[in-house]
Amino acid sequence: MTISSTPIRRTLMRMIFISSGAVLAVTTTAFCAYEFLTFRQSSVQQLQILSQAIASNSTAALAFDNPDDASVVLLAFRADPHIVAAALYDAQGKAFATYPQGLAAARFPARPGVPGYTFGRTELIGFQPVAEGSRRLGTLFVESDLGAMYARIRLYAVIVFLVIGISLPLAYLISRRLQHQLLHPILALADTTRAVSERHDYTVRAVRTGAYEFDLFTDTFNHMLTEIQQSEGKLRAQLGRLGLLQHITRATGERQDLPSIFNVVLASLEENLPIDFSCILLHDPAGPSLTVDVVGAAGRGFADKVGLKVGVNVPIDANGLSRCVAGQLVYEPDVLQVPFPFPQRMAAAGLPSVVIAPLIVENQVFGVLVCARRSTEAFSSGECEFLKQLSEHVALASHQARLYGALQQAYDDLRQSQHAVLQQERLRALGQMASGIAHDINNAISPVSLYTESLLEREPNLSERARGYLTTIQRAIEDVARTVARMREFYREREAQLTLERVDVNRAVRQVVELTRPRWSDLPQQRGAMVDLRTELSDSLPEIMGAEHEIRDALTNLIFNAVDAMPTGGTLVVRTRGVPGGDDGDRVLVEVSDTGVGMDEETRRRCLEPFFTTKGERGTGLGLAMVYGMIQRHSAELDIESAAGSGTTVRLSFPSYTSSSVTTTRVIKLPALGRRLRILLVDDDPMLIKSLQDTLQEDGHVITATHGGQAGIDAFAAAQKLGERHDIVITDLGMPYVDGRKVAASIKMLSPKTPVILLTGWGQRLVAANDIPAHVDKVLSKPPRLNELRAGLSELVP
Amino acid sequence: MAVLNKTSRALFCGTLGLMALLRGACGAEAPTEYQVKAVFVYNFSRFVEWPPQAFSAPDEPFVIGILGGDPFGARLDEAVRGEQIDRHPLLVRRFRNLGEIGDCRILYIDRSESAQLQQILAALAHRSTLTVSDLDGSSQRGVMIQFTTENNRIRLRINVESARASGLTISSKLLRSAEIVGTRDGT
Repeated sequence: MTISSTPIRRTLMRMIFISSGAVLAVTTTAFCAYEFLTFRQSSVQQLQILSQAIASNSTAALAFDNPDDASVVLLAFRADPHIVAAALYDAQGKAFATYPQGLAAARFPARPGVPGYTFGRTELIGFQPVAEGSRRLGTLFVESDLGAMYARIRLYAVIVFLVIGISLPLAYLISRRLQHQLLHPILALADTTRAVSERHDYTVRAVRTGAYEFDLFTDTFNHMLTEIQQSEGKLRAQLGRLGLLQHITRATGERQDLPSIFNVVLASLEENLPIDFSCILLHDPAGPSLTVDVVGAAGRGFADKVGLKVGVNVPIDANGLSRCVAGQLVYEPDVLQVPFPFPQRMAAAGLPSVVIAPLIVENQVFGVLVCARRSTEAFSSGECEFLKQLSEHVALASHQARLYGALQQAYDDLRQSQHAVLQQERLRALGQMASGIAHDINNAISPVSLYTESLLEREPNLSERARGYLTTIQRAIEDVARTVARMREFYREREAQLTLERVDVNRAVRQVVELTRPRWSDLPQQRGAMVDLRTELSDSLPEIMGAEHEIRDALTNLIFNAVDAMPTGGTLVVRTRGVPGGDDGDRVLVEVSDTGVGMDEETRRRCLEPFFTTKGERGTGLGLAMVYGMIQRHSAELDIESAAGSGTTVRLSFPSYTSSSVTTTRVIKLPALGRRLRILLVDDDPMLIKSLQDTLQEDGHVITATHGGQAGIDAFAAAQKLGERHDIVITDLGMPYVDGRKVAASIKMLSPKTPVILLTGWGQRLVAANDIPAHVDKVLSKPPRLNELRAGLSELVP
Repeated sequence: MAVLNKTSRALFCGTLGLMALLRGACGAEAPTEYQVKAVFVYNFSRFVEWPPQAFSAPDEPFVIGILGGDPFGARLDEAVRGEQIDRHPLLVRRFRNLGEIGDCRILYIDRSESAQLQQILAALAHRSTLTVSDLDGSSQRGVMIQFTTENNRIRLRINVESARASGLTISSKLLRSAEIVGTRDGT
């Protein structure tokens, strides 16, 4: 601080100098003027007094005509050195005596003038009458030079000079001293303001100096600084909270799940606001309670004391929570004063300041944010406002997280659906391929079927062993045909036409156990595992109504699953028993039980879903789904008992057969038709043509075999022209260029009454679909059964 | 004596005339000896203080008496005409002899009364009368003021004792321009 350079200091100094100089000038001028005037007056007076005295003393000299005495009297003028001349005139106006004696006549007037005193340029002249009593005796002339006056003026000049010379430095010293008193507080204030403006440091304070007005000023200034400091503090706090809000908003925006959002919110609050305890309670819209969802990490210690642990229910009553649930921000600066249970719990845990902010989405409070501190009245209004805004952000974020979750769920569902559709599409392609294969297989095995049946029927000399072999061949062919048919149906959405028949479940079980032996016995043994398969079959088991092959397939699948569940071996039990039922009638139970790995709850719940598999690439996810489909088609029930590590028991419960339930079509062996028919065979497979031709010729019919659709139509037309019309046409469905439908249409066009039998590898499907093509009178599936053919012929050609 | 007086008078007049010539002012005629003395006598009334009991009434005339011959003629009357001391009008009276002397405040004792001077003074004792005379040595004999001539100027000799004895107070200014003498017994 350089005081001398501050303008105020110079100004003040100048002011003091000018004012004191002016005062001095006026004072000395007035004094000099006064002295000058009074000095003239006093000079006159002095001269007058002296003259009067001299005049008075001169009376006797004049009265008694004594010039010597008069001269002596006039010598008294010596007392005043400035009296340069004096003269005494007698009554006649003649000069009587002079001072000094022998004064040149030119130095005094020849005649006395008018009594009185007048100032000349350099002298004061007076005429004083001399009288004794009333008698005028003469006149006294006096002349005084003004040297005294000039001397006095010189003296005054010296005095003025001395006064100014002394008083101005004195004024300087005094003003310096006073200025210090005056300027010190101002400069101190100036320093303070400079510090404030340059450093933005609002903590500095001006120092009191003891001068009342300045102290008032200083106090006001300090008060202002305090206010600014507080405002700045509030502003900084607000900025901090804004930053925190942004931080939290960003953090929540990066997260998609509610617990993570809540955790990051609470952690940020505890760290940055900071607060001692925080938690988020979610509102159960059904009931009047809140459930603690998340507790801030730092406040876990309090959570035990308050009783707000995750999962705890807090009833909503008139405790502030109700107001909060109604959508208000609740601030309790001192919960000790609030006589409700929840605030008292907070108070007991040593958290007297509580803010409860509602989490509102679409005008619905779905939860509350609870923040608490260990001291009373610990939340400022800014913090309350901040928490309110924060709660809105959190609510929005959680709402978005929920929406995101729902979206994710929808997306997952969609993806699963897409996956299923893809799977199905793959399966459909597979099915179509399988269908083609099935067609070829059916064609291929048709001769086997036909010749086997023909042999069993027409060869009386067959040995028992040959007949046994042929019977087995026939059953195998039938199983092959059924397998192929089922394979075709994989891709079908609609249920296959099911032909129910009476099934001996025990027999089916034995067949399946025998058929699956390689799987449960041989393969595990190769790995060194031992599966002990036992059957516990009830002797008096009632029959059921069902499709035996489907039941067999289902059991096969169950046994496969059981074996797969025991990679290190174990015991597999297949159990059957009859259960006497109530109104629904008796039931037949089939249990497949293993001691394998079992299923956990999730797997058990989902195991029936199509394409759900635990076997990875080895499994199709269709085994149990097919079992379930079979169960539904048989009006049966499925029950699975399983736990992880303790094996699985699958229980199938079928309604038992009652005579009234289904009327079965008894398969009767038809004899060969007695009549001789002219039959046109149309097919593209020479083996099939050959076998059909052979067997039908053995029945005595006349066969015209044609290769291909067009050839068949041409043969029919040619025969018709010759008048040898065919009695019936048997045509294959799938042929290149001209298929069975076209053949049938052409035949009907040529001869509407001629029946047409369509043979098809897809026959069963056509039957099931009830879409027998136009112009076709009957559809028979491949491989053709002799019986079915005979029945068809006898039916269509009466 | 008379010749002497005459010669001295002539001399006096001569000196006055010379003085007038010397001064040469106004062209006024030089005053005669008794003209001056008349003025002086009148002036005495201004420079001497009489005791109050000297006057029986406030407006009692202030009498200037001339005892014996009258050297003044009308000059004294002219000098005092119209004048008054305080409220006392000035009045000139002439007394031929001692017996005629009435109440007066100033008494001029003419040379002619030289022989009876002692009687006169004795008669005037305690009468508050200023005695004035031209007589040589009269002041030493008890006359209060005696005119003398010195360098052609009229000078005064004053016997303060006899004045004081008569209860008169003579102004110091008058005393300063005069010669003070005392009373010599036997002369």
